Amino acid sequence: MEAVYHFLRSLRWVGDWPQPVLWALAFAVPIVFVVVVFPLIFAYTTLVERKALGRIQNRLGPNRVGRWGILQPIADGLKLLIKEDIVPAKADRVVHTLAPVIAVIPSLMLFTVIPVGSGLIPVNLNIGLLFVFAISTGSVLALFMGGWASRNKFSLLGAMRSVAQVVSYEVPMVLAAVVVVMAVGSLSTVDIAAAQAGGWANVTNWFVFRPWGFVGLVLFLMGAMAESARTPFDLPEAESEIIAGYHTEYSGFKFALFQLGEYLAAIAMAGVTVTLFLGGYNGPGCELPVVGKLIGMGWFFVKLFAMIAVIIWIRGTWPRIRVDQLMAFAWKLMLPMAIINLIVAALYHYIEPKLLAWVVSAGLLVLSWATLSSLSAPPHLQKRTYRYWA
Amino acid sequence: MGAFGTGLFKGMAVTARNFIGSYFDRERLVTVQYPEERIQPPENSRTFPFLVYDGTPENMRCVACKICETECPPQCIYIVMDRDEKGKPLQRPKVFDIDISVCMQCQICVEVCPFDAIKMDNDYEKSQYGRFEELVEHLPDLLKSNEYYHRIKPTEAAAVDARLKAEAEKKAKKAATTAKPAPKPATTSQAAAKPPAPPAAQPKPAPAASAVTAGKIVIPEDAPFSAEQRAWLAGFLSSIGVTTSVASVPSTAPAPATVPAAAEQAPVAAETETAAATAETTAATPSDAPWHDPGLSMAQRMELAKDRPLADKLMAAMAQTDCHACGYDCRGYADAIAAGTEKDLTLCLPGESETAAMLEKILKEAGRL
Amino acid sequence: MTTAFWIITIVTLLGALLAVTLRNLVHCVLSLILFFLGIAGHYFLLRADFFGTVQILIYIGAVAVLILFAIMLTRNVTGEEGPREILGMKWWSGAVIAALVAGVLLHAVRRDATAAVASSAPKPLSVADLGRALVGDWVVPFEGMAVLLTAALIGAVVIALEEVQRRR
Repeated sequence: MEAVYHFLRSLRWVGDWPQPVLWALAFAVPIVFVVVVFPLIFAYTTLVERKALGRIQNRLGPNRVGRWGILQPIADGLKLLIKEDIVPAKADRVVHTLAPVIAVIPSLMLFTVIPVGSGLIPVNLNIGLLFVFAISTGSVLALFMGGWASRNKFSLLGAMRSVAQVVSYEVPMVLAAVVVVMAVGSLSTVDIAAAQAGGWANVTNWFVFRPWGFVGLVLFLMGAMAESARTPFDLPEAESEIIAGYHTEYSGFKFALFQLGEYLAAIAMAGVTVTLFLGGYNGPGCELPVVGKLIGMGWFFVKLFAMIAVIIWIRGTWPRIRVDQLMAFAWKLMLPMAIINLIVAALYHYIEPKLLAWVVSAGLLVLSWATLSSLSAPPHLQKRTYRYWA
Repeated sequence: MGAFGTGLFKGMAVTARNFIGSYFDRERLVTVQYPEERIQPPENSRTFPFLVYDGTPENMRCVACKICETECPPQCIYIVMDRDEKGKPLQRPKVFDIDISVCMQCQICVEVCPFDAIKMDNDYEKSQYGRFEELVEHLPDLLKSNEYYHRIKPTEAAAVDARLKAEAEKKAKKAATTAKPAPKPATTSQAAAKPPAPPAAQPKPAPAASAVTAGKIVIPEDAPFSAEQRAWLAGFLSSIGVTTSVASVPSTAPAPATVPAAAEQAPVAAETETAAATAETTAATPSDAPWHDPGLSMAQRMELAKDRPLADKLMAAMAQTDCHACGYDCRGYADAIAAGTEKDLTLCLPGESETAAMLEKILKEAGRL
Repeated sequence: MTTAFWIITIVTLLGALLAVTLRNLVHCVLSLILFFLGIAGHYFLLRADFFGTVQILIYIGAVAVLILFAIMLTRNVTGEEGPREILGMKWWSGAVIAALVAGVLLHAVRRDATAAVASSAPKPLSVADLGRALVGDWVVPFEGMAVLLTAALIGAVVIALEEVQRRR
């Protein structure tokens, strides 16, 4: 916001405008950016996802609406807009209507603290990361409201699953992010992104290249995918088990809002991941005086799309986690790993030759991963022989 | 240990290979983009029946014999024979409707057609904007050329053409022999030529399978059926036998070994009883004709009419479709022959040479020839 | 600023009022969440960003969700069965407790009001300061809270374990 203001001040023919107008403009630009750009990214993420999933399964994906199906999201949106809005007879009408709205708001709010370039952030909160976690829990409320208000057993099952899942996976996710806070000494996303500048070509200082950073990235990404109910953690809407989970009874634009909220949350979480571990807007060339900001913005979006691609890739590949393994995975594997990671990050901070610190912490993490995985590995199963095998 | 989680990454490698490969290897994309891309349906695929014509649509093969109409299990065929102003049958359908919403694509009409006039199409684009009249195919929709038949099913059409040609040649030869003054050798030659006539695996009701006297094999003698019901059952079962066993069982197969015996050894006690009972019931109601069922084989029909008067025997030799191709119904044609007003014995189109030969045989036995 | 204050206050009070008057349990909890949000808004107004965020994180993200989870496992959520009147037999005891709590709070506020007015523009509380305070001056109460919470956690596990054993 301040950056926009100063940028506007610096322009020759705008800078002379009265201050309140400039401030209003400076307010409006980030808001428009958040409300327009990210939903647009959402719309095309759905298209890219469908195309990519198609290609992964050796299909073509949507290619009917416009060349390469480029207008498919618009067609989808129009279709959902003109569809009948159905509220089940016994449903709680107010809550049923409120739920999709509440699903979108936190997801949009998440974008306000993600720096897309150096100094380019809608709101620079000094508790940015905490804000992210606080807001992202709001989405679980929407899922619960939608599932409960529908008066449908599948909706309720989906709601229960999502509540249990989000509450559980939030713990390792937050702990995984804490290592970054420890390293930077600030909760502000701007500071976190700025702390990863420098090094060789603005790359080597990314936290992902620290052992604890890599483990943190993996844990955080898993937690984020569980939080936004993406495959392999899409149990709240597992279509093969509980139809569509909490949005079984939603149609038309309410359904679209749920999808919007979910995708926006996933994109925002990808953005947070980029900011925390992948250097945010830092990349080769972003320290240049004039075009540096634009290059940094480019790097941010490149990384964001790469993260989205990874998430889609995972969705196209991995099976859904079994419901009885869901909790065990969070509490028995991810949480201990996150705590170990926290300790290792502290050790890394105090061991002085950083190369030694790198080797030691990497060794510790690999060792603890091997131990944990062998502890939680399934019992070795004998090959089954059948008595009446033909 | 160490293998924990590696399967996940193997899977990701596979999907990545698929993803990238699908952009470089057209072979991977198996999707047929239907409205733009079409693939020729396999030759043996079938949707709904169509009527074959040779050359021009007027020259259709169908003679409106109504065998298919009678045989069609869901009764989706409706045929009206065309007649000239004087009411003489023109041996072609005036109306030929197939309700494709009723048709179950069983191909039985094709199996039973003696003229190779009806064949299965493989045109799958049959959707319409209505449910009733739009889904009834009329004669102009149904008529398709033999060239079209060759295009969609080359092998089958070639076989049909070859057979039709062979039959035409045989008929020409026969016509040549019958044209000679001596009628006797003609009949013997015809009778001699008859047995090898049925080509294997062909849809005509071939004698091999029609010899299956189902009453003997399946229905016990003490089963509580009237003679009429027994006859109907026998016809029904044999019609099943026709569709299933003609192709697989050659006429010399050992399986129906008891059958010729049953057909020849007529004076089995039960059989004679049945026949006697039939004779009694039909004597009471002379219009009743238990053999009047196109599903029965010639042997069965003749068995049922064994002790009947000449006109009944003659009628039993007909194809029983009441198709009017001869200008009468089956009863009328038989009566006309018996009365001597009709001299031509080859008018029964659906019965083909089998009926003609049988008529000749009956008349000869009666001393009329 | 005052407009924002009044809007947030009205929303907060409305949420609190609805939470105790509505019959449907889930509606009550949702109103309670509205109330929590209002409180968080007040924190933000006071430039206590950290507390506002933590209010959302803890009260909405954890407490309210846990309440909802508990409600989902109960029957008669809609309150259609059972007594109609909202005020129970012991309503006066609740009123007494509420009055006492209000009195204590009012007393504390009145005593500190002068100090609050003196520094009318509170400087934004930085997280680092808060952290130092927690592990510096207030380390004993902080650790005491941690022990208490751990004890509660262990207690919950023990209770759950007993139930599991009984079921076997």
